[in-house]
Amino acid sequence: MKSFFTLTIVLATSFGAMAKDVADSVIRVASTLQSYNPSQPWEKTSPHKRRALAAVLPNSQVLTTAEMVTNANFIQLESANGEHQIPARVVAVDYEANLALLTPNSDQGIKTLGQFKALQIASPAHLGDTVNIVQIEDNGMTLITEGRIQSVDVAASFVPGHFFLNYQVKASMQSAANSFTLPVLKDDKLLGLLTSYSSKDQLVEIIAPEIITAFLKDAKNHVYQGFPSLGIGTTRTTDTHFRDWLQLSSDKGGLFVTRVLPNSAAALAGIKKGDVLTSISGKPLDRRGYYQANGYGQLFWSHLIRGSHPIGSTIKLGLLRHGKPLEVSATLKRAPEGIIPSHTYDKAPRFLVKGGLVFQELSKSYLQAFGENWATRAPLNLLDAHNHPEDYEKGRKRLVFISAVIPTPATLGYESLNSVIVEQVNGQEIQDLPSLIAAFKTTPENGIHTLKLDGQPETIYLDSKVSDTVDQSLLARGLPYLSRDTQ
Amino acid sequence: MKVLFTCATALVGSLHAQDAVKAPPTQDHHQTTESASKAAIYKSIVRIEVASQVPDYKTPWNAGRFSGGTGTGFLIGKNKFLTNAHVVSNARRVLITMHGSSRKHPARVVHVAHDCDLAILELVDFRPFADLSYLEIGTIPKLESEVRVIGYPMGGERISVTRGVVSRIDFRPYAHSRSDSHLVVQIDAAINPGNSGGPVLQDGKVAGVAFQGLTQADNTGYMIPTPVIDRFLKDIEDGSYDSYADLGVYDFALFNPAMRKAYNLQPNDPGVLVSSVTSGSSSSDTLKEGDILTAIDGYSVDSSGNITIAGERVNMNEVIERKFAGDKVKLDFTRDGKNLSKEITLKTFPPASMYSVQYGKKPRYLIQGGLVFQPLNRNLYAAHKLNNPRVRRLFSEYVKEGIYKERKDILILTRVLDDPINSALSKYIGSAVKSINGVDITDIHQAHELLNPAEPPEFFEIMLEGQDRPLILPSKGLSEANQRISENYGAHKANNLTN
Repeated sequence: MKSFFTLTIVLATSFGAMAKDVADSVIRVASTLQSYNPSQPWEKTSPHKRRALAAVLPNSQVLTTAEMVTNANFIQLESANGEHQIPARVVAVDYEANLALLTPNSDQGIKTLGQFKALQIASPAHLGDTVNIVQIEDNGMTLITEGRIQSVDVAASFVPGHFFLNYQVKASMQSAANSFTLPVLKDDKLLGLLTSYSSKDQLVEIIAPEIITAFLKDAKNHVYQGFPSLGIGTTRTTDTHFRDWLQLSSDKGGLFVTRVLPNSAAALAGIKKGDVLTSISGKPLDRRGYYQANGYGQLFWSHLIRGSHPIGSTIKLGLLRHGKPLEVSATLKRAPEGIIPSHTYDKAPRFLVKGGLVFQELSKSYLQAFGENWATRAPLNLLDAHNHPEDYEKGRKRLVFISAVIPTPATLGYESLNSVIVEQVNGQEIQDLPSLIAAFKTTPENGIHTLKLDGQPETIYLDSKVSDTVDQSLLARGLPYLSRDTQ
Repeated sequence: MKVLFTCATALVGSLHAQDAVKAPPTQDHHQTTESASKAAIYKSIVRIEVASQVPDYKTPWNAGRFSGGTGTGFLIGKNKFLTNAHVVSNARRVLITMHGSSRKHPARVVHVAHDCDLAILELVDFRPFADLSYLEIGTIPKLESEVRVIGYPMGGERISVTRGVVSRIDFRPYAHSRSDSHLVVQIDAAINPGNSGGPVLQDGKVAGVAFQGLTQADNTGYMIPTPVIDRFLKDIEDGSYDSYADLGVYDFALFNPAMRKAYNLQPNDPGVLVSSVTSGSSSSDTLKEGDILTAIDGYSVDSSGNITIAGERVNMNEVIERKFAGDKVKLDFTRDGKNLSKEITLKTFPPASMYSVQYGKKPRYLIQGGLVFQPLNRNLYAAHKLNNPRVRRLFSEYVKEGIYKERKDILILTRVLDDPINSALSKYIGSAVKSINGVDITDIHQAHELLNPAEPPEFFEIMLEGQDRPLILPSKGLSEANQRISENYGAHKANNLTN
């Protein structure tokens, strides 16, 4: 009993002490975000605000999540005691890993931030470890919530499809100061950033320290590179009949390679569709693609690529090809970008308005703008391009399509041509939006632009003079500009 | 009886003439004669009771749901009743009741046209109806003229009459097949469930067959007008219904001035753009994408594809609508600045049935190792709510892109009947089959042969469209699995390859 009593007092005092320390190591971030209107790409949608609590790092830098700075017009750091408001800018951002590094805009701000107690990055933790989630209430009081690491997995916390190491922590959080993301500490060091909280399950998701460490290291480079990717699609080999057909022995694991992206690290290493991936860096993969990770239990194989090694490292991969074992070396690089980018944050969409036809380049974010059921509600031909880009890649860097038809004298009769893919204009193949702009710049001899489409009718025509006049009247009616050819 | 009916009408007419000269005859006599003539035709308008068996596309080895309904029909000739196809589709037993009698007379379906929602019935024993007068098919009524609808709609058991005017004459989809549009006449007389198949009368003649309504609007009922009825009756004269012929052309309106300039068209020049020609159709040997169709059978086609027939502006397809497979059509068109004129022979286009709701057919299917494969069609789409993007694309481009030429059937994996032989495969439900053992699938018979060869391979490799790996069925243990699955799931017949 006596020892228990002491323990409690010790905990209470250390809690109080920690709270006081922590307040000097964290800072509020307030950002105003404004994204482009997907169907009217010359304008932005309404701005909205996000607030978060961020971690102060050495050299007057602040770490928070990428969600806080996506399409940000204005970022401000605010100290908990209300003394300082410091406008800041982004040093480096990774949307896939959901991390952003900020620094003050002014020398004064840098000086002020330098007086904070910077956090070191903690070492990787273990299952069962205790962590502390930091919040600052509106009145400036620090609130620490203790949690326990329940499991470790790879998860996509922001951009779908990009999985990174993630801790799941069991904690009973209060909602205080409505923060988008919070710092999580262990032993007074920064363990990770909270990206979501489920009050139903009392489960918190945290970006793991290995990812943060790799991100910060990369951020020191002149040009931020990002996390590598092997460039393969895989599927499980849990189906016993499938295994028999693959001649996989019953005691082993292995992942079936369904796709190899051209020009990817996997392609250059000689991996082929139909191979079975049995090990990465000597670690064997089970039938679902999991391996035994030190201190983490079972982990999905993608962490062995993303978050374990920087771009440029060479790793060994064990394969089975037609039942025979094979080892290859892969030099890690960024996944090659296909013609339809998965995300376009901080990139203003390229577009052209010509005579009332609005042309854009297809991206996954455009399709997602059709709502929650976009996978069934978005136009079928654009969905098909997104699902099978290999059928559209030839001769293209981006997929240009008519995203809207503004009713004008030049577009009379074309009102139904929404979402049609453009192949040629005035005889020139359209590889991307800049090539579309260039193709329209040439005035054709009979004064009529010819557009070849992937649809019915195959060819439509725009009167050059009429569409130029329409363009001017659209500007007069409030369109700020007719095109954007850079991002 | 027929003679008496005409006489009665003449009497009424002459009575009206006398009114001007002499004192009017008694009201009672006038009214009795009028109601007598009206009542005389009531018996020729019959109540049709149908017991049906609706095929089950969701669980195709099942017998289907027993269902039924009632509608209206009318006598147009000796033992010849006209009604809607949707009244008698999937019928197993048809009973006809005469107005004023409760006796039910067995009948059977002689001809059915699902593409224009019409059907002909005959009684097993016509004698009780032998003395009844036939209803004569008239002509298309004028806008605003009065019509009356007679039938057996909901709200009572006995004959009902409603009255209204002709509201609109238009070219609209016929809901029964979901894929065909023809001339319709819209009226504001109440047309309710049960009225289907009944006559709409004007001046004692049939102006149309009541067949559908618009639920979200008020007083909006539709009837099948006489040109469509006449065509149907002519088509079945040779003993079988051959269905509508199709031009096979997709058109695009030539409104845009720049487009007109590019085709050297003056502002008032006729012609609509041929934006696509269906391969294998009536016009595929003659017309090409980019042609401008300027006249059809001598009728000038305007820039939105309309022509003028008897003072009415209608879609140019109305010319085809009145013709039959084997008939000739003269097409005038412009290609590369040259005016051309060719005659084509119309034919039907069977692959288009992919988009029509099928009736009275047992669903085709194939089961192997608990994997259920069914050929894609409209019924399957509705039953399984398919939303795989590749399947959606195959469905929408089946005719347009000529997919039908290589793949008569697009087989869909609709179910996995769980069993150790297929336990990992449920996640692939809803995909189309690309190939089996490396052979691209063309139709269900071929797929059946590939899955049931004389010498089975060690593994059956089934590749699905857009999926990441082949589905593997081992030969070893397959027949035991099939036996197990057939017993467990009640799928007593492993396949139905024809209908």
